[in-house]
Amino acid sequence: MLNETQEVHTSPTAPQKRSPLFLLSGLVIGLLLGLVYAWFINPVIYENTVPASLGATDKDVYRGTIAQVYAITGDLERAVLRLALLEDPEPVFELASQAQRALAAGNDTEARALALMASVLQGAPQAATPESVPLPDTPVEIMSPAVPTQTLPVPASTP
Amino acid sequence: MKRRVWRFAFFALAILVGVTAGLGYGWGVNPVRYASTRPELLRIDYQADFVLMAAELYRAESDLALALARLDYLGEQSTLVLLEATLSFAQKHRFAPADQALIQSLAEDIHRALDGLQ
Repeated sequence: MLNETQEVHTSPTAPQKRSPLFLLSGLVIGLLLGLVYAWFINPVIYENTVPASLGATDKDVYRGTIAQVYAITGDLERAVLRLALLEDPEPVFELASQAQRALAAGNDTEARALALMASVLQGAPQAATPESVPLPDTPVEIMSPAVPTQTLPVPASTP
Repeated sequence: MKRRVWRFAFFALAILVGVTAGLGYGWGVNPVRYASTRPELLRIDYQADFVLMAAELYRAESDLALALARLDYLGEQSTLVLLEATLSFAQKHRFAPADQALIQSLAEDIHRALDGLQ
């Protein structure tokens, strides 16, 4: 008789080599959780900020105030230092475009002050006063003679 | 069984290390940057300079309501508290006497106006 029954011996204590992939996945999960918490749930809140970090509307208020103070005091050095705090890439352009917006909104005093400061920074006579800066009827034209805008086409060739 | 416990412990440890690294990166190395902050978060010296500008304009315009509206730009805090803080800052940092006098004058006028309302 042939005994067909066989015993299979396995070694139950044989070490199973498992990859440490679970550690890596744990690390990635933790990293994602940390980033979500740090960026979205509880992000850094800034205090003691600088004027350059203000929003566009608040920058306009700040810039308008600087220009109005300059129009009253005539202290260009202080006005320029204050304006530099806003870190505008093109301060003259910003002043001029804000002057247009102020004029369109019917705020003549602020428009004049902004236009005055823009023209002084552009190199116009230092003795300019708010009253001496002409304000045209339409807001679009206010600074066009004195201050080039970014939208002006570049001439293809010079005569 | 013991192996499973160890694996779980290491997994939890890896998550903890990941969370720590994520927080360090998200808060320290590359925190959220706000494109536009509010004026009330400005550093005290910038706030003081803005108050000085409001005072300079007030001297020329003599419009207290307009001056108060300008000071409102710096947030919800009480105007008197703001002016006191500004005056204290101006004295401590030796602002020009004329500038200090301007802020003082504005503060006194606002005080007087508020007293008159009460």
